This record gives sequence, structure tokens and C-alpha cells, in this order.
Amino acid sequence: MKLDEVNAIVAKVFSLPESEITDESSPETIESWDSFNGLVLVDELETHFKIKFSISEITDVKNVSDIKRHLKNHNVS
Amino acid sequence: MEKSLSDYIALSKNIDELKHDKKLKVAILSSSTLNGLNETLHVKFSELGIDYQSYLGGYNQYNQELLNSKSGLYTFSPDVTFVIIDVRNVLGDYFHHAHDMSDDERKNLAKEKINELQNLIETFENNSNSKLVITNLNVPSYSPNGIIENKLKFGFHEMIEEINNSLRHILKNHNSVYMYDFRQFVSKFGEKNVFDYRQFHLGDIQIAFNLIPYLANDLMSYIKPMFGINRKCIVLDLDNTLWGGIVGEDGFDGIELGDTPNGEAFVEFQKELLVLWNQGIILAINSKNNDNDAMKVITKHPNMILREKHFANIQINWDDKAINLKKIADEINIGLNSMVFFDDDKINCERIKQEFPEVLTINLPDDPSQFTPILKEMNDFQVLQRTDEDKKRGEIYAQQLERNKFEKSVSNMDDFLKNLDIRVNIKKSNNFLIPRISQLTLKTNQFNLTTKRYQEEEIRNLSNDKKFIVGCAQVFDKFGDNGITGVFIIEKDETSWFIDTFLLSCRIMGRGIENAILSQILKDAKDEGMAEIKAQFIPTQKNKPAENFLSHNGFEKEGDSWIYKLNSEIKVPNHLKVETE
Repeated sequence: MKLDEVNAIVAKVFSLPESEITDESSPETIESWDSFNGLVLVDELETHFKIKFSISEITDVKNVSDIKRHLKNHNVS
Repeated sequence: MEKSLSDYIALSKNIDELKHDKKLKVAILSSSTLNGLNETLHVKFSELGIDYQSYLGGYNQYNQELLNSKSGLYTFSPDVTFVIIDVRNVLGDYFHHAHDMSDDERKNLAKEKINELQNLIETFENNSNSKLVITNLNVPSYSPNGIIENKLKFGFHEMIEEINNSLRHILKNHNSVYMYDFRQFVSKFGEKNVFDYRQFHLGDIQIAFNLIPYLANDLMSYIKPMFGINRKCIVLDLDNTLWGGIVGEDGFDGIELGDTPNGEAFVEFQKELLVLWNQGIILAINSKNNDNDAMKVITKHPNMILREKHFANIQINWDDKAINLKKIADEINIGLNSMVFFDDDKINCERIKQEFPEVLTINLPDDPSQFTPILKEMNDFQVLQRTDEDKKRGEIYAQQLERNKFEKSVSNMDDFLKNLDIRVNIKKSNNFLIPRISQLTLKTNQFNLTTKRYQEEEIRNLSNDKKFIVGCAQVFDKFGDNGITGVFIIEKDETSWFIDTFLLSCRIMGRGIENAILSQILKDAKDEGMAEIKAQFIPTQKNKPAENFLSHNGFEKEGDSWIYKLNSEIKVPNHLKVETE
């Protein structure tokens, strides 16, 4: 499943082992998840899945599970 | 292939600063958000072995940083300052509003912005010794005037172009200020890719994240020549590099060069190499081939662009390519770290990479149409200034090849020197010579008595100082003009002269030219009634060739310095002619 690849990308952007990433991971639980790195994450996801998020999707993301929910809307499953 | 921005950010966290032997302080000022550029530059510096210290100006604070002499920028005291400005923030509200202004109002706005930029640059120059790299402005592709934009008396696009043109003009009068052509960056990658409205609204990001590494790469073009880590020589394979196919198997008529789409790609590659040769990049050949087969193509093939005279050194044999490469470096007397090696064969490339990691090895892909774009993407051939000597370099090395052949054909050194018909033309420094004189003091390591480095500005000051003589020597022989290849700087006193600098380019060492220049200096001093000349030898790791120069020419050691008493006859080498201007 392609959605499984999300955790690895999140881990790479925030320089963490993939095992530490869960659906609940968020700017509160990951120290380096600031607004800039959040946008770098968006860029990595878009390049990887060949999609473009809308601004409201980007600002709406509060944790990893939100990312997966929006990816589903872009037909990533 | 560039790494992604997140790769750079991750790498920047694990840099071992201890292994770096050079260092540089870099300031980055920008008008919009440029996060990630700092991390990317940090990694790229580390890859070159340079310790990176940076100062980041606050968001859109470049005006204040540059104008306030007590700003953090000036306290940091950078070596290089990048000012990356964008058209939206520079124009502010006028970015939209300028469309409904009159032509005259736009003209005035352009003038105002030009004056602002000029003032920034001049204030910076008065407050810092740093080099300054400032961007020009992108001209947006859109105009509300549509197809009649260019019919306006002084339109919006023309206004931005006017600002760019003036900026270009201003920089021509400032030696240490360079323009980074951001417009060309946008045209290379495309406005739609560079400017992402989402990133712009989310955080005033005006250069898309995925392109930041490419921007950093362009900025490195200014850094590499500052450290002399630019490349000066391209070493080329032949089969499937300069032409398609294998001449030893396919034959003279069977190789692809011109005429077919693939063949045209090889011709295009050769044309770009010739362009670089004309700019002073040295070319050489390192090929496993039968010498006769390969040389026939080089000398006779009708579509060959590069001919024998373009190559400073040719190694066509069945020896190990690493041995050949070392031979090329030794024979043309150039460091391996100044060389780039192009080969289509993976194993050859691996061999060179392993043996000489300091050589930049490029493994060419199968598709020859990609050779030219690969060459053009390289930022390794940059120079901060180009002298006449640089432009003539290819020619000079070709003459050197002739000279070497001649040396082998005569039986002894004296005959060789006598028959070279050397002419040494000694000149006083002037405005045209100053860049070259400075360049020689900056890069001459071997035959250099004191290894004192002088920037152009310093040479200019010394040349205007009555207490100093700044001179240089242009050397000719039967094979041609070697260019300005010797420099001396004399500090004058009431009763004696002091040789502050005496150097000779390594490519003309060992022909008695140094003795001729020195004897001319001694004669001049004697004519001016001096009693003695003092000199100094400051040993470095590289200037051993100059170690015994003073003692061999009659100087006597006294403490730290060497003295020549001008009361005796001055020896003049008789195998060459000295002229003074």
C-alpha cells in the first residue's frame, strides 16, 4: 500500500527513525516539526506521490493521520 | 542530479567541521523567505573542505542591514555577502500599482529604485571588505496590458528591465561586487516552477523548495574561484566521448561525427569545449587507442572541431589511464585538483576516482545529446576576473608542446636556450597590467621569493606610490608570446632598494629569464646611484625552486635578509635579449 510510505517520508524530513512515527505524530510530539520543516514535508510528499495539495489541506494538517486522510482525497491509497 | 532540500537539511546536521582546512564567512540577506539555503550551502562548503560560518539577515531586513554601519552584518564581518532580492518586495505595493501609473511615473519609480540599490552597494563597499553578490529582478511573465505591454512608452516590464540594466551598469565600476542573474535562473527553471503561489501565501517563499539546491549550486560559482578550487583543464577520452563509435573497430569512415543526429551531438559537445578553450580552459586527451587511427581523425576528419593545436597534451596509448592522467598533469605542470576527466567508460572513471579522488571525474551517459547540457551545468570553470593571458592560455600551451618537442631534438640545454630566441620585455605597471600582476601574486607558488599576495586594489596603490616600483615581464620566443609571466615589486629607500616581491610563472622557469629580470633590476638600481639591494627569501611548502636563486646571483646572507653590493660588474645572461619600456 502506498500510504504506508508516508511514515518513512515523515521520518526522513524530521531526521527520526521510522519506528518513532505514528498516526498521532504531530508538531507537539516531534520537536523539529516547525512551520518551515512542515512545508519541506509537503514538498517531499508532493514530489513522491506526484500530487499537489491545496492551501487549506496544508494548513489543516495537525498530525500524520491528517496527511494520510488528505492523500486519500488525491487517490493515494 | 541534485539532492533534495530535505536531504541537505539532514546532511547539514552531521557535518564534521574538524576536517576542513579553509574557512569562509558568508552572509545571506534576502527580501523573502529563503529557509534551507543556509543548510544547503553549509553542506556544499563541507563537500569542498571549507569551514562555513554564516550570518542570516532578518526577514526582509536587507536594507537596514546594509545601511546601518553598526548592523549585525558588519559586526559579523563576512568574506562574501549574498543579497537575494525579489521584484515583489523591492517594488512593494508598486508591484501591482505600477500598472496604473503613467509612463513618466514609472520612469521616476525606476530611477528611485536604481538610486536605492546604488546607495546600498556603495554603503556596503564603504563598510565592508566582503565581496558582494546581488541578484537582479525577475521580470514577471504576466502583464495586465497583455499583448500591448511592449507598445507602452515606458511599460512595467521595461521598468524592471531598466532597473536590471542599471544595476548591471553600476557593478561594472565596482570590482568586488558581482550580479547574480536571477532572471536567468527563472528562465532556466521556469517561472511556474520557481514561484509557487501556495508557498508564497504560506510564508512569503518566492523560490520553491525543490529549487533551493540549484540556487545554492549557482552561488557556489562565486565561492570556488575565491579558493582557487575552480578547474582549469579538461581531459577527454576519444571513442564515444569526442565522437561516436570506436575508431579502431569502426574505422575512420565508420565513426559518428556530424551528419547524423547522434553525430551532431558530438559536434555540439566539441563546439562547447572549443568555447571553453577560447576562455582559457586547457584541453588534453587521454585515450586507449592506436595513435595512428585516433590522430588521423583529429587531423583529417572533416567534421572534427577540435584539432591537434587545441590540446596541450595528448596521451593516446594502451597504458593505464591513471598513469596517463598523472603524466598529463606533470607535463603541463598543473595540479590534479585543477582537472576534470570526461569518459564514457564506467570502469575507467572508477579507476581515476579511486586513484585520484582530487580529479573531478564525469562519467558520460550513453546518450551523447546529454554531453553538452552536462558540461554547461558545471560551475567549476568560473573565474572572478579574466586577463588576456587567460584567454591566450590554450595557444600558450600548444606552443609549449612545440617547445618540448624542440627541446628533445637538440642535444644540450645551452643549445636549446640559445636557439629559443628568448626576448624579455620588462614593463612598468599600468592600468591594463594591474589585473594580471595581481593575479600572478595571488597564484604563483613555486618560483616566488616572498609569496606576498596582493589584490588588484593593493597593486593599484603600490603602482601609484612613488616609493615603489611595480614591474612585470612579458616573454617571447620563437614559438610565440608567453604573456606576462614575471612580476617584481621594489621598495625604494634613499640609499638602497628592497625586493618586496619577485616571482616567475612556473611555465617559463629554467630558461634564465629570472636571471635576466634580476640583472635588469640591479642595473637600474646602480644607475640610480644605489649602494646595495636587499632581498628576502621566505620559505613555504612550495617555493623550493626559488631557494638558491639569491645566492646563485651573488647575494650574500646577512641575518634574515640577502644583500647585493652594487659596486661590482653585473652579470647578464647572454642567451636572451632584454628590452625595457
